[in-house]
Amino acid sequence: MKKILGILALLIAVCVITGLRKPEFFGAYNLGNLAERIAMFGIIGIGVAFPIITRGIDLSIGSVIGLTGSLMPLLLVKHGWGWPSVIVATMGVALLVGVIHGLLITKARLQPFIVTLCGLLIYRGVARWITDDRTMGFGSTYDDSLVRLVSTQIPIPGVGFAIPISFVYLAVIALLAAFFLHRTVWGRQIFAVGSNPDAARYAGIHVDWIITLTYIICAGLAGFAGILFALDVKAVQPASHGNFYELYAIAAAVLGGCSLRGGEGSILGVVIGAALMRVLYNSINLLGIPTQLEFAIIGAVILIGVFGDEVVRRIWASKRGIGKQE
Amino acid sequence: MRQAIITALCAGVLAIGGCGQAGSGGRAGGGNGGGGGGGQADKPHVAFITNGIASFWTLAESGTKAASVDFDADVDVLMPTGIVDQNRMIEDMLTSQVDGMAISPIDGENQNEKLNEAAAHTTLITHDSDAPDSNRVLYIGMDNYSAGRMCGELVKEALPGGGELMIFIGRLEQDNAKRRRQGVIDEILGRSHDPTRYDPPNARLEGNGYVILDTRTDDFTQAGSQAQAEDALAVHPDIDAMVGLFAYNTPAVLNALAGADKLGKVTVVGFDEDDATLEGIKAGHVFGTVVQNPYMYGYESVRVLAAIARGDKSVIPESGFLDIPARKITPDNVEEFHADLKEKLGG
Repeated sequence: MKKILGILALLIAVCVITGLRKPEFFGAYNLGNLAERIAMFGIIGIGVAFPIITRGIDLSIGSVIGLTGSLMPLLLVKHGWGWPSVIVATMGVALLVGVIHGLLITKARLQPFIVTLCGLLIYRGVARWITDDRTMGFGSTYDDSLVRLVSTQIPIPGVGFAIPISFVYLAVIALLAAFFLHRTVWGRQIFAVGSNPDAARYAGIHVDWIITLTYIICAGLAGFAGILFALDVKAVQPASHGNFYELYAIAAAVLGGCSLRGGEGSILGVVIGAALMRVLYNSINLLGIPTQLEFAIIGAVILIGVFGDEVVRRIWASKRGIGKQE
Repeated sequence: MRQAIITALCAGVLAIGGCGQAGSGGRAGGGNGGGGGGGQADKPHVAFITNGIASFWTLAESGTKAASVDFDADVDVLMPTGIVDQNRMIEDMLTSQVDGMAISPIDGENQNEKLNEAAAHTTLITHDSDAPDSNRVLYIGMDNYSAGRMCGELVKEALPGGGELMIFIGRLEQDNAKRRRQGVIDEILGRSHDPTRYDPPNARLEGNGYVILDTRTDDFTQAGSQAQAEDALAVHPDIDAMVGLFAYNTPAVLNALAGADKLGKVTVVGFDEDDATLEGIKAGHVFGTVVQNPYMYGYESVRVLAAIARGDKSVIPESGFLDIPARKITPDNVEEFHADLKEKLGG
């Protein structure tokens, strides 16, 4: 919880500073845009939090997004499938990817970094190959019942603000994930495996199954986000759609308190971490800061946040230590 | 305590970032603009959004800077890394309530909805690449098909007896890229003038004594383009000509040729005015290039948007097309052109 406070303070600070200099930041239009961006990146952040908590990693998220994003218009427009079967098919592909990752990591005993790095390359290549590298759009001919899965806005009466449906997805996924992680036996076992896999195994936990499950959850959420991204942007460039998104997801998870050493993490923190990243991008544009500096500013703010968090933690720890001696 | 430290540090970083805006890149014209807010602004605040990050756009940026002084406007120049990024920039600029927006859409057809959203809230013009079906009021650029044919003429001048060649281009989904490439192909193969024609990229095309082996794309990366050129040389060691159609494609082709020790042995025809391309013309490694005028794209975009923001609609031509014509650069005029270019970039 303390870890969340630090990142939350940073998020609020960035919002307040931007809002003071550009009041439009708090306008309904901008908040709606932000909610939508936070939702999509929050979902993949929640996904990658699971393997991270078990000391693993998933580097293939961006390519899974690219693959599912390319499959959507390909199956819908080119092959004329109905949209329910397209969603089942793309989610099936994503979940299968998760199963394969899990089996390679637990049964073939390959390192998660290598398995998912190869996944990153393979799925990107497949996405480019099946589409002939052409940008896939949904075109104007396709009826928009599917696009409504993303474009629907839920108005809040009286405040002139509408919540994008994707933010509702995030809220539901976050609640389910938090309940699963913190309140169910499997969730606690995920933490146990991350803290000490050997101890978990001796305690009778099916470590292999738990680890595989985390990769299935991660790839599944990446696939779902891939569908949302594709429907949102309506034009999927197979070679670049979703590039580097795994790093945004991992950054959100780590910012939100997941330790890459395993055994730690909270879903709320991940959502706040994802929000911080998106708000920073937004602030940079609104404040008229040169886009060339974009990455540098985001990197610096995150580094300062994590560093400040660590410094304060140590000061507190040493103070507590002195108090005990006295 | 913890919050205080983090907040202070964060404020520091954003403040530093904010200070940077008067310096390099981003916002030209100084001042904070204060949001503009539609209507007739004293000092219009306009946005200039590119379709990627390239030296071509650096030239356009200096054009916007010059115009921001000449026409007393604030300009935000934004260079996206892809469609998702570009859409985000459109939204953020609408939030900033800019008085006008000039954009080079990455995929005009599929971005129509986003472009029309922008057009509904501010004055939208396109530059460099058009989105003819959107509600933009004006397109500033050149006719890419004609410029492509100009490039094809250079190939024919260099290889009057015909030969085998390959085309390198960043990506084909952009309207300008499709037309430019088609212009080159149609001119070389001696076809009639038809900008709507489209040959798929992987087809081998023959005619008029020439063979177009392939068109290779690299998704806007010079390293990718160089690898494509190197691989082309490996597969077709006897290739007669290589044509680079995005600004960085020609330098990438030159690097690949240098690595294969074939500089000057394979005819290179380029597009745009990258330094390496112009130096290549001077050294005799590049036969010629067709240049657009990105400086004027930037300059004219700001001029037009600033005028419209002040209520002057007479700057919009009836055709909705402001032509900034292309021209050929060969050893005959490269020195003069390069000197002028350096002056504009320095200014």
